[in-house]
Amino acid sequence: MRVNVDLRLKDVPGQLIGALEPVSRNDGNIVGVVHSHDKVSAGRIGVNLTFEVSSEMNLDKIMNEWTARGVDILKIDHLFETFHLEYVIVGTVSANEMKRITDGIQALGGVESLNVRYSVSSSDEKTALISGKVRSKDVIKKANHFMRERSKRSGFLMIRGFGD
Amino acid sequence: MIKMDAVLVGFGTVGQGVAEAIQMKDQLFVDRFGEGIRIVAAFDSNTYAASKKGLNPTELVRTKVGKGNIGKKRPETIPEMLSRLDYDVLVEMTPTNIVDAKPGIDHIKAALNAGRDVVTSNKGPLALKFREISKLAAKNKCNLRFEASVGGATPVINLASELLRCERISSIRGIMNGTCNYILSRMESEGLPWEPALREAQQLGYAETDPSYDIDGIDTACKVAILANAIMGNDVTVHDVERTGIRGVNLEAVTLAAQDKKVIRLIGEITEKGVEVAPRLIPRGHPLSISGTLNTFHIQTDLAGEIIVAGRGAGRHETASAVMSDLWVIMRTKEPNSHSS
Repeated sequence: MRVNVDLRLKDVPGQLIGALEPVSRNDGNIVGVVHSHDKVSAGRIGVNLTFEVSSEMNLDKIMNEWTARGVDILKIDHLFETFHLEYVIVGTVSANEMKRITDGIQALGGVESLNVRYSVSSSDEKTALISGKVRSKDVIKKANHFMRERSKRSGFLMIRGFGD
Repeated sequence: MIKMDAVLVGFGTVGQGVAEAIQMKDQLFVDRFGEGIRIVAAFDSNTYAASKKGLNPTELVRTKVGKGNIGKKRPETIPEMLSRLDYDVLVEMTPTNIVDAKPGIDHIKAALNAGRDVVTSNKGPLALKFREISKLAAKNKCNLRFEASVGGATPVINLASELLRCERISSIRGIMNGTCNYILSRMESEGLPWEPALREAQQLGYAETDPSYDIDGIDTACKVAILANAIMGNDVTVHDVERTGIRGVNLEAVTLAAQDKKVIRLIGEITEKGVEVAPRLIPRGHPLSISGTLNTFHIQTDLAGEIIVAGRGAGRHETASAVMSDLWVIMRTKEPNSHSS
């Protein structure tokens, strides 16, 4: 699941690292940190943290560690589970076709992130890894259907992930 | 004492392996059932040998290897000759034909119509005419067993259909073709492009000269259809299986997958959503990320959760192992007070 939290830390050196450590120690993956140095209140500064964590149990551990370290948790929200979306495609895929693919997946809704990585190739044949995170398995199902149709229409080989 | 007179039809690699296994395991059967399996007739594509007293399995194999045949030229079709033979079980091991399932389907129907039990390694009749032959077996109160048709020595059919009877099986996913898995594994571990990896598989005897049956996913699709029918209670043929092979999977795709901690594997899949064969991205460390020629099956059940079974998917003695286990089960059904059903 992906978690977004507002924390308040003591405005002294080392506090931010102290707040991030529990996340990585409990198999969390930090996605973004916004450190508000300009908003100091009662000797504390605000930090907005977004991270992914594998289970509620690990999230509880992280929160307990923050409390033990004197980190104030002001707000937790945007809790949602994310699912991995992955395709490798092989074929003569034009730049326009790739745009149609990524736009088509985005248009399904519930897509948190989408990345395309190409393999360097001297031939016309392109190989690309499309990976992303979505909010529900239903989005993966719809994306699979969309990719199947595009692969039939454009004649590329589509290798999908195992998350469905 | 339980008698088991067998007719072997098909005397290629699998048939010879079964004859050798019958000889090798004779004492085991004698100890349990009072008698071993007696081969009363054997057929290859053109010739046959028959003896009411039983043929010597070692001699049969020696003759086949030495002379290229097993006896006299066949005067009639095999079904016609079967109708005149006295036997208990037909072991059907002719090559798979997914166009019309012949000649295997004719042999199996001849045996079942005559009230004989059947053990087969032949995927064609099962992948095309499963309902027809299973109904015929039920109507004539015959055993129809086919463990060797899927996964070679890996006991997936008997495991799922007998030992997991109280489970609701929601999916079976597996690596069902060792040739494809070998090619993909070598591309990944050695950085071999597609062509050299395929040639290596051919040189080692894993892939045929015409490899399309394996690499286009046809072999896996046959196995998917058989598992869907036998275990999930579906009514499908190989033509109902949505199929994508591994032709076209290049080294760049394998490398991109590896950078994402994934491997590409050809996966046969039977779920409540349907039946499919396709190359998939499997996380490294997942049971289905296995390398080499092994077959692996991942069965999802409601009570037991995940069950994984792996083993050698092909080979002379590996396939014979599955045939022998089916023959054993049939002999157990003949025992007084048997509770095999």
